[in-house]
Amino acid sequence: MALSGMRGLSVFISDIRNCPNKEQERLRVDKELGNIRTRFKSEKGLTHYEKKKYVWKMLYIHMLGYDVDFGHMEAVSLISAPKYPEKQVGYIVTSSLLNENHDFLRLAINTVRNDIIGRNETFQCLALTMVGNIGGREFSESLAPDVQKLLISSSCRPLVRKKAALCLLRLYRKNPDVVNIDGWADRMAQLLDERDLGVLTSSTSLLVALVSNNHEAYWSCLPKCVKILERLARNQDIPQEYTYYGIPSPWLQVKAMRALQYFPTIEDPNIRRSLFEVLQRILMGTDVVKNVNKNNASHAVLFEALALVMHLDAEKEMMSQCVALLGKFIAVREPNIRYLGLENMSRMLMVTDVHDSIKRHQAQIITSLKDPDISIRRRALDLLYGMCDVSNAKDIVEELLQYLSAADFAMREELSLKAAILAEKFAPDLSWYVDVILQLIDKAGDFVSDDIWFRVVQFVTNNEDLQPYAAAKAREYLDKPAIHETMVKVSAYLLGEYSHLLARRPGCSPKEIFTVIHEKLPTVSTTTIPILLSTYAKILMHTQPADPELQKIVWAIFNKYESCIDVEIQQRAVEYFALSKKGAALMDILAEMPKFPERQSALLKKAEDAEVDSAEQSAIKLRAQQQMSNALVVTDQRPANGAPSDCWRA
Amino acid sequence: MIRFILLQNRQGKTRLAKYYVPLEDSEKHKVEYEVHRLVVNRDPKFTNFVEFRTHKVIYRRYAGLFFALCVDITDNELAYLECIHLFVEILDHFFSNVCELDLVFNFHKVYLILDEFILAGELQETSKRAIIERMGELEKLE
Repeated sequence: MALSGMRGLSVFISDIRNCPNKEQERLRVDKELGNIRTRFKSEKGLTHYEKKKYVWKMLYIHMLGYDVDFGHMEAVSLISAPKYPEKQVGYIVTSSLLNENHDFLRLAINTVRNDIIGRNETFQCLALTMVGNIGGREFSESLAPDVQKLLISSSCRPLVRKKAALCLLRLYRKNPDVVNIDGWADRMAQLLDERDLGVLTSSTSLLVALVSNNHEAYWSCLPKCVKILERLARNQDIPQEYTYYGIPSPWLQVKAMRALQYFPTIEDPNIRRSLFEVLQRILMGTDVVKNVNKNNASHAVLFEALALVMHLDAEKEMMSQCVALLGKFIAVREPNIRYLGLENMSRMLMVTDVHDSIKRHQAQIITSLKDPDISIRRRALDLLYGMCDVSNAKDIVEELLQYLSAADFAMREELSLKAAILAEKFAPDLSWYVDVILQLIDKAGDFVSDDIWFRVVQFVTNNEDLQPYAAAKAREYLDKPAIHETMVKVSAYLLGEYSHLLARRPGCSPKEIFTVIHEKLPTVSTTTIPILLSTYAKILMHTQPADPELQKIVWAIFNKYESCIDVEIQQRAVEYFALSKKGAALMDILAEMPKFPERQSALLKKAEDAEVDSAEQSAIKLRAQQQMSNALVVTDQRPANGAPSDCWRA
Repeated sequence: MIRFILLQNRQGKTRLAKYYVPLEDSEKHKVEYEVHRLVVNRDPKFTNFVEFRTHKVIYRRYAGLFFALCVDITDNELAYLECIHLFVEILDHFFSNVCELDLVFNFHKVYLILDEFILAGELQETSKRAIIERMGELEKLE
């Protein structure tokens, strides 16, 4: 089916398609752009028809990926064309080439306004469409009242009113003040009585936006939403054209349920009862069918109903039904449903106490963690993270660690952070926690931030019983041929502080400890060397009586680094050299690090500060509060004299 | 809301691009490249939803074309998946058994149809009949 009446355009498109390579295509495009530019600039001026042709060509060229900046003016000017065919091109191409940040667009405001308030319905539609798609703040202020008038005008066809509703929605998003709530709340409720389902669909979208900002003002719309839902759920005089594979407008059902989620409660018991009847029927009556589209549509409605049930904080029985449904979903073959099952289970955790029911599905969720589809893996990880508590922490963290070795890079950082947080919150005992973190560093060192290993050191420092264990573990890791730099840092630090506790064990004499650490020095960067120097100094200090051979070796190292170009390294080398010559007095200066004051986990803070939208953020905070923790390692105490900064010398 | 709609073929050529959020041309090119890479390699057995930056992309492949919608994280995935299907059904009806070439040579009609279907990033009309009738009205005005 060729383009009617624009042969030049069809020919151009054919030419482009016949270009054998990108070079030829570029040549052809440049030729055409040159031609268009010349024609636009020429004295003679163009007929509207010719302009139309060139402007379409420009849009096509733009779609191919080339720049067509010079044509913006022409596209916008076509908006003022007197006849529909040209005006249409102006509006549509402008919508594609320009956006609200282009100054040019301002030039059109007057014309657009005239089209909106004028008598020509087709022009009204064009204008409403463009403003609805790309209108910015300025359009918002000038046009909102006119658009509102159209929306509530009984002389306008549904065609115009549904565009007006969405146009107003955009203007509202750009500047919420343009909808004067006092006048509008009643109008909005009236709009929801609309018979035409196209207008109703658009109006409900508008409602969702209004209610999400201010549900107080729109209480009168609540019963209307429930009525809409009832009408659809019972298929009460729904025209065939709005039925999708037998389901009455699934999209409108979803929108209505979405709107209801912005009202905190439903006070009226009758309305509440009606709504729950509808929801119950949806929950229990949605079968799996063969037709993919019908299945998707009915389940779209089902999942939205689930979300609404969760929001309304239904009775326990209904909630268990939901969990049971979700439990079924996470085990089906169909990936979309499985994905949504996992996602909704995570959501359930946040709003209600269904931990125990969900834990029953742990095995299935862990299987999903290893699904070939990364979308599913992500949801499974979120869910495992959310459902972790003291009873299953060990299992879950160990699964995460196991999975970490096989995980792809996109997920490793998140996996590491989550595993570290869970280990900290729910560790059954501290030595397990140390194991977990060291394993993390071993398997995914690149993704383990400094916060994580600082934390381990804090705990070891604060728990004397843990110190020999941690030091021994660190020693074990150092035997491995190739270890991550972070492992070197943490091992060196721990051994510097505590290796003397191991002195009697085989392979743990000061000299041996020093040797095994020093072997790693050539493999590390200048940020780690300062830590190593401190470690050597501490080892020397702890070696009583002094070992002259070891001293000689270490002093030689200090000497060497006295002329290092890195200031930190140089300073330490010089100072440690001088200090270590002082002999016994060194003990006081390089005494063991004192205990750290307890404060909020930097990790949790990191997870909170990560860029999430505000809804997610409050959910995270709520989650953190709700999660019961009998952990040994976490505490919320803040030191009396204010928290010291995170910086401390290692 | 829908942030943008993309129709791309397997080679990554854009057949339709409609943005409901303001992006500069260079940003658009980047987006189109990234979305293509994201969806073209996914196994057909995987979900039709994939995270993209701080949003998500709902996509489906029809013959050689990928239809992708970028929506907000909190949006109903299955509803938008069927939204894509409805759009395809409308195109199929309008062009009588649509193929990629129809969309290439009649791209301006596709924009017109899209503008009757989605506005301001939200669903405007869900009746196939209403949209086809409207297109008929518009054809008469040309």
